[in-house]
Amino acid sequence: MNVLERIARAPGNALEFSNIVLTTDDAVIGATPRDVVWTHRATTLYRYRSTQRRFPVPLLLVFALINRPDIFDLRPGGSLVEYLLEEGFDIFLLDWGAPGEEDCDMGIDDYVCDELHWAIRETLRAAKSDEVSLIGWCLGATVCAMYCGLDRRGGPAVPVRNLALLTMPIDGRDSTYAKWVGDPSFDIDGVAEHWHNIPGEAVDFANKMLKPVSNFFTTYRRLWENVEQGQVRREAYQSMAKWVANNPPFPGRAWTQWIEMMYRDGSLVNGHARLRGRRVDLRRIDQNVLVVTAGADHIAPLPGTMPFFDLIASRDVTHIARPGGHIGLIAGSAARKVIWPEMVDWLRERSER
Amino acid sequence: MSERDAGSVGSPIDQVRVLLEGTESQAAKAFEQAVATRSFGSVLARCGENAAALARIGSDLADLALRNLRLAGRADIVRLARQLHRTEDKLERVLQELEELRDELEARDRQPARASARGNGHGHGGDGRRRAQAAP
Repeated sequence: MNVLERIARAPGNALEFSNIVLTTDDAVIGATPRDVVWTHRATTLYRYRSTQRRFPVPLLLVFALINRPDIFDLRPGGSLVEYLLEEGFDIFLLDWGAPGEEDCDMGIDDYVCDELHWAIRETLRAAKSDEVSLIGWCLGATVCAMYCGLDRRGGPAVPVRNLALLTMPIDGRDSTYAKWVGDPSFDIDGVAEHWHNIPGEAVDFANKMLKPVSNFFTTYRRLWENVEQGQVRREAYQSMAKWVANNPPFPGRAWTQWIEMMYRDGSLVNGHARLRGRRVDLRRIDQNVLVVTAGADHIAPLPGTMPFFDLIASRDVTHIARPGGHIGLIAGSAARKVIWPEMVDWLRERSER
Repeated sequence: MSERDAGSVGSPIDQVRVLLEGTESQAAKAFEQAVATRSFGSVLARCGENAAALARIGSDLADLALRNLRLAGRADIVRLARQLHRTEDKLERVLQELEELRDELEARDRQPARASARGNGHGHGGDGRRRAQAAP
């Protein structure tokens, strides 16, 4: 394409570019039909409709508190939920919802001991099963690991057969986040008290500041180039952009607990973490474990996940390490061919009666 | 390099593009190094603390104004929502207890029915009726 051609096409391209950016909110995400199984406070448990459930052990998908779980079901043709349904799994999704100011007293303990515990109970009842497979992603994976490592105090064993943990942070003391919030002079309790809930926009801004040029400039530059070359994939860009921009607030109490555990005292890896007085010891994890890590993950860098393997008691441990980003590895356009089949193979072998 | 690539890199616009991409990649590395320092962290932390304090002051002022107008402010609504949440928490626990009791009763009902079925061979219908009664 010569210079004159580029100049002649520039107004049309600019129109297309601005249209894609401005109509991002119209993108349809999370479109797979589903039913509400259970609700409590802001939390909702969904079950996806299916006529081809083949495996008796249901899958419960758990995402982070700081983004919506629609990433599991991003768009038709690019949805992990759709893919898993086609493979014959019975899929449940735990949606933490968007906490209001009245939920600012929700802590990690409430999410692990109540919301997740009750969601598992409801999943088992709805699926008429004795066991469940947990698929946690990002902070959701850490929450799932905490649940399995929680001291049962002589109670029944955790009804979790398989534990798939995707891009999970477990020790963030060497991360960039730790340099931001790890300093004790940063008054996290004061911030949580003033703000009640940490605004989603603030969390999103902090995440984007880890790679400021890539997030604030390169994304749009690439979009422009794709428009210019006529290779833009509108649905793929818009669905991801819409999901990225939708950030629920982080309940103040959970945020302070998270920072303490993850970036200040590393209590999850040193076994000192306690939820409602009950010790969280990752050595109690004896489920079949799948850990997926991404080589270019800047949110949960690989060195922050590796200590997990030295701690757990599981005999069946699989580690899939692939190049890619924190979200892109599991939800990117190549995921359907690269990572999803591997995850499904792992689950299929462990989901029979 | 292919002839086409050499030709495309040779055009002025592509030369500018290569230059811009190089600058962008260097800027990206520089910014990533800059944000990974403790000093940037402390600036971000202070900004966060200030923003939170300002949000609190603004919210308190707005609440004060609303209360003087005898209108419910945000704090009042949050208090009501918390009371609702406490009730919801209790209801959830009661519901779970009820479900467990119902399951237990169903299991107990099933056991004698099975035992009688084994005894006289007419237990299947009775078992079915009991289950139907227990269902909500």
